[in-house]
Amino acid sequence: MIHSLNKSLRVLSTSAAFGLLLVAAPQAFAATPADTLVEGFAIDDIITIDPGEAFELSTAEITANCYSKLVMLDPADTSKVIGDLAESWTISDDGLTYTFKLKSGLKFVSGNPITATDVAYSFERAIKLDKSPAFLLTQFGLTGDNVADKAKAANDTTFVFTVDKPYAPSFVLNVLTATVASIVDKKVVSEHAKKVTPSADYKYDTDFGNEWMKTGYAGSGPYKTMAWRANEAVILEANPNYYGEKPKLKRVIYRHMKESSGQRLALENGDIDVARNLEPGDLDAVQKKGLSLTSAPKGTVYFFSLNQKNKNLAKPEVAEAFKYLVNYDAIGATLIKGIGEIHQTFLPKGQLGAIDDKPYKLDVAKAKELLAKAGLKDGFTVTMDVRNNQPVTGIAESVQQTLAQAGIKLEIIPGDGKQTLTKFRARTHDIYIGQWGSDYFDPNSNAETFVINYDNSDEGKNKTLAWRNAWDVPKELSDAAKGALLEKDSAKRAATYEDLQRKVLAQSPFVFLFQQVEVAGYSPKLKNFKLGPSFDTNFVYPVSKE
Amino acid sequence: MSVVETPKPYSREWLLSDRPASRRQAKLGRAYVVWSRFAENRLALLGLVIILALLVVAALADVLAPHNPVQGDLMNSRLLPPGSAGYLLGTDDQGRDILSRLIHGSRLTLFVVVLVAVIAAPIGLIVGTVSGYAGGWVDAVLMRITDIFLAFPKLVLALALVAALGPGIENAILAIAVTSWPPYARIARAETLTFRHSEFIAAVRLMGASPFRIVLRHIMPLCLSSLIVRVTLDMAGIILTAAGLGFLGLGAQPPLPEWGAMIASGRRFILDQWWVAAMPGFAILIVSLGFNLLGDGLRDALDPKEAGQ
Repeated sequence: MIHSLNKSLRVLSTSAAFGLLLVAAPQAFAATPADTLVEGFAIDDIITIDPGEAFELSTAEITANCYSKLVMLDPADTSKVIGDLAESWTISDDGLTYTFKLKSGLKFVSGNPITATDVAYSFERAIKLDKSPAFLLTQFGLTGDNVADKAKAANDTTFVFTVDKPYAPSFVLNVLTATVASIVDKKVVSEHAKKVTPSADYKYDTDFGNEWMKTGYAGSGPYKTMAWRANEAVILEANPNYYGEKPKLKRVIYRHMKESSGQRLALENGDIDVARNLEPGDLDAVQKKGLSLTSAPKGTVYFFSLNQKNKNLAKPEVAEAFKYLVNYDAIGATLIKGIGEIHQTFLPKGQLGAIDDKPYKLDVAKAKELLAKAGLKDGFTVTMDVRNNQPVTGIAESVQQTLAQAGIKLEIIPGDGKQTLTKFRARTHDIYIGQWGSDYFDPNSNAETFVINYDNSDEGKNKTLAWRNAWDVPKELSDAAKGALLEKDSAKRAATYEDLQRKVLAQSPFVFLFQQVEVAGYSPKLKNFKLGPSFDTNFVYPVSKE
Repeated sequence: MSVVETPKPYSREWLLSDRPASRRQAKLGRAYVVWSRFAENRLALLGLVIILALLVVAALADVLAPHNPVQGDLMNSRLLPPGSAGYLLGTDDQGRDILSRLIHGSRLTLFVVVLVAVIAAPIGLIVGTVSGYAGGWVDAVLMRITDIFLAFPKLVLALALVAALGPGIENAILAIAVTSWPPYARIARAETLTFRHSEFIAAVRLMGASPFRIVLRHIMPLCLSSLIVRVTLDMAGIILTAAGLGFLGLGAQPPLPEWGAMIASGRRFILDQWWVAAMPGFAILIVSLGFNLLGDGLRDALDPKEAGQ
């Protein structure tokens, strides 16, 4: 009797102990698996992972890690381009024809060989789908009708690309590093293509697999996309067929986490390895906990611009005075600490020809002198349209204070992004504060928008930032910008942009404030975790774990 | 024949005399009664002190504020905690002294409260008394309009108005005024109905007074006391609505040191730099409390019927 009781007691206590273990188990294994990288990342901007359609920031990173392109930015020096799938390339003497020679023995994740036909198909598909990023390729004169001739496979390993003008080769190659030029597996995509009825807007009878590619994958990058679940996660797995150095980690999981504070807590608890959207306050806290931080300047510059339709703002002395009325040092040390670096030229650091001149600093006396010269000794009142989010609101308030010291009364008009942008596009603002992110990693993207104004009338079709501020750009400057686009010699092209930046800095109605910096907090267990200079150079394949 | 001893003028007995010899004596006597009833209420006195202090602070803001409320030192004095050298209540994210901003903000608060009272109370009074005295279709029309305004939550209506007019403190005042007159109209109408048929009104009418005169000279003064009580009690609500609009970015615009807007800009730092949002919060709390206590005391003093209820 006693014996049997003892026995049942033992069974009971053992099961109780197991029960406790089971309850405790998830706690004990909170750390992420050793072969998996888990990143907390706000990925709610992803609407598709089809490289022919996607033009969102988070998707750029996914595509860059999962697809190969003909050429890519040199991670060591992003003002240079190196071959990805292409072994080498030649450019014809007239500057119109680019002939790419593919590396041999390349395979897609499906096992199909990568041939020039796939490359041609990828270009054709992007052009014919005509989604948001298609303009990157159509600016070379490609259309749905001529793409078969302009982007064609000469043989299995030779791809010939023809442009309509003798552009600077660095420009063409830089654009070809964009994710829209990712190479997809023609065979797999064609299998999933869906029949559609041609209409006036879309004259092809196939969707080029666009619907399947929204969540599907047919590429050849270091990783393959296993799954994308909207506002939940993106899961990448190492691609065994990748031609280059194999990724160190088997799996990468991007977990959707919107809030900075949530990412901070998860990172501190070891639930994630990397937190990607930390705000300045949380950055400090993360650093204090002994976690690592890494940052990289991105291709986005913040500025405020003076509408030249305003009589006061159109005076060159006033524009210069504004450049002296920003407390750059204090803003850099406080409001944008960790998320931006003071930058005063129109090209972001990392792009070809970018310079980091900072001739302006807060100098109220000098600004007053300039205002007096402009006949505005007693100052004036002017409005600024400010999107009500940070850091722009804080910067606007700081500028308001420094302007007041020189007698300029700034009225802040808050609004949401749509309101302020609509006003800006209609040229009805006085001053607009905002940012510009390069569309592609080439100086022409910024040079065109800041320095070229094709038609300064209200009917102007090409609404560049220069047009939006009614800046009748001096011919000398816009000609320099247009000329640089066709300059064959990269060194000369860079020199042109350097000179242009200095002139724009002195003459333009744009007051450049800072360049955005992307920051990530990560667990010290990670090795080689780095952010790239653009959103499609945030590579995860070199990352390893201890 | 004994001579009735007349008390010394302005003495307590003279004021409380049940047989005042002059109109002035009667009025002063009445005021004295109200005041002594008010003064018995300690909390009401506290409220009065708070509001008087607010008035003094607002009047002497330029002298009292240790720093410029709109110019801060971003580089050296950002987000300093309370008690830092020279910054008693700390500094905000632009490096501005919070105490100075609160002191100058008191002007904005008073500006809002007084303007709303000046706009809304007369509208309510006129609508209510006219409606109550005239009756019939005039009453029906005016009261249905009042109903429409009452059907919407005050803040939502104010929000819609400001959104339509554009953000700014003047528009916020206008929006609050437009949304706060209906209760006053209701009170004034209810009061009017109680003495609409009383004998003194009939007497005035018999003497040939026009309806205009009757409403203006005989009905309105009688509605005033309950209206004053209600307006005073509403002041706290007005302050909160103004602060709410400021918080949502629709009231005062930067750099004006409006308390609600100050809380809004401080909420980003609420975990690590609590004082940025808490200080203006305290200011709103204290001033609202002051108006509420004062209003309570006034109600008890002016309206003995409801005292102690």
